[in-house]
Amino acid sequence: MKYKHYLHAIWAIMKKDAKIFFRYPANAIFNILEPIIWITPVYFLSKAFQISGKNIGFAQYSGTTDYMAFLIIGDVISSFISSVMWGMGFSLKNEMDRGVLESNWLTPVPLLVQLVGRSLFSLLMTTVNSLIVAFIAWRIFGFTIGDGIMKSIVVLIPLLIALYGLGFGIAALVLITNDANAIIDITSGALNILSGQQFPVTVLPRFILPISLALPITYGIDAIRGILLNTRTILPINIEIGILVTFMLIGTFVGYKILKKVERHCKTVGNIGFH
Amino acid sequence: MSGFAIEVSNLRKEFIVNKKNGFFNRKKERKVFTAVDGISFNVKYGEIFGFLGPNGAGKTTTIKMISTLLMPTSGKIKVDGIDVVKNPREVLKNMGTVLTGERSIYWKLTGRENLEYFASMYGITGKKAKEKIDYLLKRLDLFKRADETVEKYSTGMKQRVALAKALLADPKILILDEPTSGLDPQSALNLRQLILEIKEEGRTVLLTTHYMEEADDLSDRIAIIDHGKIIALDTPDNIKKSLNRTNVLILELNKWDRSIENSIKDIDSVKNISSKFNDFSQRWEIKIHIENGSKTISQVIENIVKHGIDITNFKKEEPTLEDVFLDLTGKSLRE
Amino acid sequence: MKSLTSIFAVFKKELKIALRYPSWFMQLIIWPVALPFGYIFTARALSGKDASSLNQFQSMTNTTDYITFILIGTTIWMLVNSMLWSFGSRLRVEQIRGTLESNWLCPVPKINIQIGHALFDLVTNLIFVIVSLIEFKIFFNFNFAGSPLLAFLVLILSIPSIYGIGFIFSSLVIWAKEINSMVFLVRGIISIFCGITYPLTVLPNWMKSISKIIPMTHTINALRSVIAAGANLHDISYEIKFLILSGIILMILGILSFSYTQNKAKATGSLGHY
Repeated sequence: MKYKHYLHAIWAIMKKDAKIFFRYPANAIFNILEPIIWITPVYFLSKAFQISGKNIGFAQYSGTTDYMAFLIIGDVISSFISSVMWGMGFSLKNEMDRGVLESNWLTPVPLLVQLVGRSLFSLLMTTVNSLIVAFIAWRIFGFTIGDGIMKSIVVLIPLLIALYGLGFGIAALVLITNDANAIIDITSGALNILSGQQFPVTVLPRFILPISLALPITYGIDAIRGILLNTRTILPINIEIGILVTFMLIGTFVGYKILKKVERHCKTVGNIGFH
Repeated sequence: MSGFAIEVSNLRKEFIVNKKNGFFNRKKERKVFTAVDGISFNVKYGEIFGFLGPNGAGKTTTIKMISTLLMPTSGKIKVDGIDVVKNPREVLKNMGTVLTGERSIYWKLTGRENLEYFASMYGITGKKAKEKIDYLLKRLDLFKRADETVEKYSTGMKQRVALAKALLADPKILILDEPTSGLDPQSALNLRQLILEIKEEGRTVLLTTHYMEEADDLSDRIAIIDHGKIIALDTPDNIKKSLNRTNVLILELNKWDRSIENSIKDIDSVKNISSKFNDFSQRWEIKIHIENGSKTISQVIENIVKHGIDITNFKKEEPTLEDVFLDLTGKSLRE
Repeated sequence: MKSLTSIFAVFKKELKIALRYPSWFMQLIIWPVALPFGYIFTARALSGKDASSLNQFQSMTNTTDYITFILIGTTIWMLVNSMLWSFGSRLRVEQIRGTLESNWLCPVPKINIQIGHALFDLVTNLIFVIVSLIEFKIFFNFNFAGSPLLAFLVLILSIPSIYGIGFIFSSLVIWAKEINSMVFLVRGIISIFCGITYPLTVLPNWMKSISKIIPMTHTINALRSVIAAGANLHDISYEIKFLILSGIILMILGILSFSYTQNKAKATGSLGHY
């Protein structure tokens, strides 16, 4: 009975987020344009190193001369990562600013359930968005991807669930700091760099590489590239998948604990509804 | 129903305040600020209970603790017999709350969409939700513009949407924090009428206000709160009667200053004085609380005349709640 | 004199508020290195393990020092970005917070408030550039082949153009009521057309033509010539002239558009709208 209520609540949250989202029409367009705008300079950078249209130097590190394919895969996955973070963090901050967060806390729906609802919408939008962006990138810049899309989706799922764990932590931080945007920006940015969104992590300096290798996301992106592009993976793909599943279990647990603690802190200090 | 709708015992809330010192605000001073200082009171089922006090008295803090948003430092709160700290979600199921009013709803959604959303959040769905929402929209005079986005509504309408949201779950208990704040007199009057109707439906209402008339007209019982403590708790009439040996003199004078005020205060049965300059009439309005009627009145008037002041108007009145507040705290409610 | 007081009042207010959001510190220290980081390592990956791809790069840019090449571009980009955000969001955030109306009700020419903000930005950006240079030296062994003073001159001359664009931008934001997408769009254009991370030669011709009319392209080109290749004033005279001219034009346009928006807003009452 209780769970039916929660499902209704999640659905209501998704509907609400969708309505508000589409009432800022510039947003929808910008969400498609922005990734293209980010990709374009990198595309041109890669052209500056091409010999007869192929990134020969790049293949020496990664195992493929198709830099754009490598990049697009990294970008698509990163956008999912961002969607969880922004879905949790940014939308919370927005509601906090507007004062409506308090109303949500006054309903008998647990904070956790509410956060899941927010993220689901964000995730749905991102999937649609990524597909459109990938298509446009393919038309403008051109790249080739092999078979194995299904298998790569299977790998993506535990990665995303694991990120919820991280997302709860972010949500918690947003609730206790004044300055969510900067934190999300920096965490997002750092994650992207360290997990090899734009380049193989093996080119990172030796003192940074361990951090990269400690992030499960790195293996997620690496595994999917391995499946779709036949690149040299850091570890055998099956082991990388194993890492993701473990991360999924630990991440959600830890994130949940952090969230509970911060919720309690907010109620003690009383900063819900202020910013 | 036995027991009380809301039971509060020895409720206390302390905040740690860091003072900002200059540019790179190092935490040089940490002070403990006691917002609510060990208060106790009970709200009966079916009554309207008013919390009256000036801004900063601790009303909103108390309300936030009762509505589960804030954790008490110590003390106990029970709503409908359920411990608020231990079982907040159970409490929320049967409680409707209106706090920050117009900022507590989604401006980019229509009035109806706001109610649909919150209905789902309260577990009300399908046909039942639709009927409820239509009913509330009509009842609160929102039906005609229900499908426009809230950002286009007036403050009064936004407040009504917030109230409708609070009524969605058909709550036994309703908590309203400064419900008419920011409204024009007519809208405020309408809202108060609505609150009375809500009470007629058998609900319990706990409201806070710094408007005396609101507390006086609406509430069955009032608690007057100042600096985190309850300084009076009773029906409005009884509270006013507690000043029964006190009379209130209201004078309109053409001159006033500290020395005159002090010399009148020196008169034996003068208890309290408050003064206000009326820009419109260019006169001073002085309120004096005195005991023992006629003799004191003569002394006061003599004193004033001796200072060469003209008395342009004079009234003797029954004490109001504002006078009670002045009597108890030495300051005006609206300071 | 009264003008100065109000301008400094805005300056002080902005400083106090900014310092109360602890992350400003992180922004100042982390971003100068964080942003180019991705591009630099991408370039490293692209240049491969032997020299062949790197030579390709050199043939287009006259240098194999892709690090300096990229650092200059990203620093300018960050300056433009911060300018857009502050011009755009200042007004918009205050509109949201409701403090915009309070400010506009003060008996002070509205442009003074903007100048106060601009002054604040100038100071913060100066600090940003200095911190960036220090960090570049530490992390990337950044060096000036040419005269730092000349580089500084190029920056100063670029300011009117940037600020002019800023004023125009802030007017647009008041109308659109939307900062994020606007900032992303404008800075996106900058990042694509100004050769932030790549030589203009890789662009198709139609894009090259657009690049040439954007002032920042010339800022970046001039700085690269001076810092990486040791160019002198004579070598970059074209860029200098362009920057001076565009600076004047854009400042005039900026102030005009701002006044126009202000008057329109008063007429339609959209000032206080959320």
